[in-house]
Amino acid sequence: MQKSTTPFLLINCFLALLLISCGSVTKSYTPKKLDKTSYEVPYFSDSKTDYVYKTNITVYGNELSGIFIAKKINETTHRIVFTTEFGNKLMDFEISETDFKVNSIVSELDRKILINTLKEDFRLLLKKQYVIQEQFEDEFHNIYKSEDRNRDNYIFLSKKNQKLEKIVHSSKTKEKFTLIYNSENNIFAEKIQIIHQNIKLKIELNYFKSE
Amino acid sequence: MKTKIYLFLSAVFLSGNLFAQEQKMTAAEITAFKQDVNVVAKKIKTLSTDFVQYKHMDFLSKDIETSGKMVFKEPALLQWQYKKPYNYSITFKNGKILINDEGKKSAVDIGNSKIFARINKLIVGSVSGNMFDDNEFTISYFKLKGQNLAKFIPKDAALKKYIKQIELTFDKEEATVVQVKLLESSEDYTRIVLKNKVINAKIDDSVFTN
Repeated sequence: MQKSTTPFLLINCFLALLLISCGSVTKSYTPKKLDKTSYEVPYFSDSKTDYVYKTNITVYGNELSGIFIAKKINETTHRIVFTTEFGNKLMDFEISETDFKVNSIVSELDRKILINTLKEDFRLLLKKQYVIQEQFEDEFHNIYKSEDRNRDNYIFLSKKNQKLEKIVHSSKTKEKFTLIYNSENNIFAEKIQIIHQNIKLKIELNYFKSE
Repeated sequence: MKTKIYLFLSAVFLSGNLFAQEQKMTAAEITAFKQDVNVVAKKIKTLSTDFVQYKHMDFLSKDIETSGKMVFKEPALLQWQYKKPYNYSITFKNGKILINDEGKKSAVDIGNSKIFARINKLIVGSVSGNMFDDNEFTISYFKLKGQNLAKFIPKDAALKKYIKQIELTFDKEEATVVQVKLLESSEDYTRIVLKNKVINAKIDDSVFTN
């Protein structure tokens, strides 16, 4: 009996180590008692507003710029269009939490891996309702964990003014991509950055007012 | 029967009305119009103009409006400079596209942006006189009040995928382009209005940089 416990102990230690090293997403946050069970994102929710942003995409050192337009077309769905500065349409999607439709895409960008990545990014960007399971905090934020199928979203609200500042989309072990918001009024985000941690992709959106 | 006659009459009346707005040119008028444009175009060595661009998409509440300045110098130097609501310029020079995006500069080989190159070839063509190319486009000609209108349907399948039709509106007196309309589909188009045109002012080559 004595003999056989040693390997088990070793395995347990190894597993424990693995779990500690894997649980890096929340390791710097302090657990806290839940103060809400759901959260509603204020951005992109007004069906009367054309959300128009100047956009810069950096992908593996290549730069692509243009105009990003999002519009809520019904209760569940947003239309997303990306054009060049000239107005040529590069891609046109319709996206909801459960559906995704490509209305058009130029052949140069018609790559499954790109479309799937953007689908994930935009779906999170436009997601309105989050169900909260756990809460944490750091020095400046209350952090809410919301399960998203086999992934998790961490919603960062400023302690100072309750503004949504960041959403981290992660697997159980590591961060996949992050949305960073700058908003004056917490209704409208003037600047949004989508930063991927596992691939070299960054999308920056800067709101502009038409003349 | 009465209703039928009424419908028939109103159809005739309505189509008559439409024709009054956009009337097809006769063969003689087309020849004269093309000649007018060519005579003026041949004199153009440089051209600068302000522009306002309206991006119309059916699902939007209002058009996306951007504006700036376009500068052209013979034979093929072209710059689009957006000034509002952001600073962005795109310069066509020696087979390259030079971009300045809010101070961030880059260069693209024109080979990667064939569509860009073709659209701009057309716009350069419209001021230099060699755009009535029946090999590249199916062209139709119309008269408007004080203006002429030419509609170009691309013959090339690759170009047609992006642009269904290009419409150039000309000032009748000056025989130069006052509006460019790029139709992507029946619902979506880009309309560029050109104004404050200056022809043959001295423009230094150094303007055409990013």
